[in-house]
Amino acid sequence: MKPEKESMEGNGVSRRSVLKGAVAMGAVAVGGGLALNMSAPDRAEAAVKKLPSKWDETWDVVVIGSGFAGLAAAAEAAGGGAKVIILEKMPTYGGNSIINGGEYNSWDDQLHLREKLQLGEDSVELHKNDTLKGGDFYSFPELVEVFVNGATPALNWMIEEGGCKLRNILNRTGGHSAYRTHTNVEGVGRGYTEPLKKIAESRGAKIRLNTKLTWIWRRDADSQSPIEGVEVVTGRKTVNIRIGKALIMASGGFGRDKKMLREYNPGILDEYNCTNHPGATGETIRMAQAIGADSLQLAFIQLYPYAAPDTGILDVPAIYPFRGPGYGIVYVNKLGKRFVNEMERRDVVSMAQIKTKMKPTYSLFCEAMIPKMGTKEEVEKGIAKGRFIKAETITELAQKLGIPADSLGETIRNHNRYMAEGKDPEFGRQFTKVMIPLTEGPFYAVAQWPAVHHTMGGLRINKDAQVIDIWGKVIPCFYAAGEVTGGVHGANRLGGNAIPDAIAFGRMAGTNAAKEKRRT
Amino acid sequence: MKKLLFPAFLIASLFFLPYVLVGDLSVEAAKPEAVSCKTCHADLASVLPKGHPPVAENSLASCMPCHPSDFEGRAEKNLFATRMHMAHLPPRGSLDCTACHEWMPGKSFGLIGREGSWGAPDAKDMDFLRTIFKSWAGSGYMDHLHAAAGIGCTQCHGKGLPRADDTVENDRCLVCHGPMDRLAQKTEPKEFKDRNPHKSHLGDIACTVCHKGHAESKVYCLECHKFDMKIMGAGEAKK
Repeated sequence: MKPEKESMEGNGVSRRSVLKGAVAMGAVAVGGGLALNMSAPDRAEAAVKKLPSKWDETWDVVVIGSGFAGLAAAAEAAGGGAKVIILEKMPTYGGNSIINGGEYNSWDDQLHLREKLQLGEDSVELHKNDTLKGGDFYSFPELVEVFVNGATPALNWMIEEGGCKLRNILNRTGGHSAYRTHTNVEGVGRGYTEPLKKIAESRGAKIRLNTKLTWIWRRDADSQSPIEGVEVVTGRKTVNIRIGKALIMASGGFGRDKKMLREYNPGILDEYNCTNHPGATGETIRMAQAIGADSLQLAFIQLYPYAAPDTGILDVPAIYPFRGPGYGIVYVNKLGKRFVNEMERRDVVSMAQIKTKMKPTYSLFCEAMIPKMGTKEEVEKGIAKGRFIKAETITELAQKLGIPADSLGETIRNHNRYMAEGKDPEFGRQFTKVMIPLTEGPFYAVAQWPAVHHTMGGLRINKDAQVIDIWGKVIPCFYAAGEVTGGVHGANRLGGNAIPDAIAFGRMAGTNAAKEKRRT
Repeated sequence: MKKLLFPAFLIASLFFLPYVLVGDLSVEAAKPEAVSCKTCHADLASVLPKGHPPVAENSLASCMPCHPSDFEGRAEKNLFATRMHMAHLPPRGSLDCTACHEWMPGKSFGLIGREGSWGAPDAKDMDFLRTIFKSWAGSGYMDHLHAAAGIGCTQCHGKGLPRADDTVENDRCLVCHGPMDRLAQKTEPKEFKDRNPHKSHLGDIACTVCHKGHAESKVYCLECHKFDMKIMGAGEAKK
């Protein structure tokens, strides 16, 4: 057998760099011996994580994850002339994105829906301010700017190049001060992932499923030391990929990893359901950390207030309570009482529900609101599945829900009066002219309960989507976008901001990655 | 010295392996190209199906003119090949591949006494194939359901020996199970038509997302939804 040293040098890898790589993160023990090593967990002594002696494949840009961020990044990187591969660990593409609620905040769009529907004013600045406030000012303004600025162009791009179709509705959703939440025809995230996939693939990007990232190759933690490649596993086969230009992490959050959730936020109880797909387990954050990437705000974990109470999934009916506040939807508890200002952010609504200590709570709406929030067809389907409950009167609805009818009747009468008077003395709801009172039936209800939804924290990036190391330096040839990043939404992400965040930063990462100098 | 020993060992084992596996070292001059059915089946006629014409020779080669092998890798049943494998390999039988196949590690893999090679498996590949064949011949998975229906490796995987990281594309499954529309029609639930596993909201997904060849098949929908759905090949051990 050829000595290890010789074979590795033959591939341009010096022994010194191998050793250096082994102690990438560590303080080297003086005079040899053992050193701190983060190459593998549970090692009793310093292990050598050797750079591969040969690369099995070479790609300019490797994207980890095939959701909004990954697809957008791949599309732009391929558009910039790079040879791009998306690696997806799951057997299907799209991660959380393809099953997400499909709500997209943008101050404008090429159809100018807000103007057409006469829903008042909005601006990029207003979107930015709402976002900063909604995240309790924990988010970085220069990062927020990237996505609020990028939201409209990205939406138009998906419409023009990807064939994305929008519904002719626009909602004002929790924490927003304007009607800016767009919905696509499909009514779910697939209505954006399919256009993005189409653009990415038409530009030559490839998607490889069932392929899991197992290691990121970097020689050492020197700020000049770039990402060299990745180790991935497909089935029983391990492959080392040389990266010519850049690695883009678009691997999503960790909502389905209960251990990780609780380690960062002990308030996230095991009993909480989760809206996420099974692959949202966050191990790639640890891999990035192990080669020096900084992370932040990992304790900020969002609950989606309106998930299906039994499974925790975010199905079609579960989106209606989110879309409804701007048109007058009312939330009540099992006693038939309101418990929160419906215009509130997700964290506030979720905590208010949990504090009722009565699972579930309900969203109430009437016939006239349906075309503003969704479609009659969706509602009919939801009724058939027992998700929406329909009744001719509020009294009948109360009976069907098992709620005291007197109490519910009083609550609705009061709320109608507040709306007419333009003032909510109980919870301070901000009424608008387009809101509809619950006076004419039929009436509808949908049960809701919070479930883990979005992890706001993640890898530290700058406004160019470059990953920053623990010393504050850019890690060369390393980008990240979407839910895997932190600092974009602060303590609470406003609903409908995740998609523009992922796509705008994905495009930024892909565009910049393609501009990197190609290494051999 | 070491360099010489290993190939020598391999060559030697090539000659001896069939003997060891057949378990009768006293067989006279049993060269690999003339593996004998009569070694075990003294009265060959007794194991042939009723009405089978008499077989003159007693090697596999004498079967081949009427019963072609899987060599072409067509997506169609081959009852002869599957029955031969199931009868002789574990769990029902106790023979090894090399009882009938000529294997030159890393070079070729064919049928003793026949021209042509399926591929060039090394020792690791062969171990893998043995594991897979064992599953195919007696597991509760989809591979065994296919075995029982006369489907072997190549009918799904195509010509040649499948690689360790091989997968089966939808088009291949649909040769027998398609077209997709008809398949979706078959599994359309009466009550909620959109809860159709073959018309997923995840788009055009691979059959193998749920239907695993050599492992437990699982309804992927159930990762998130609480539906009453069942799948074949979910691993109930076959008695």
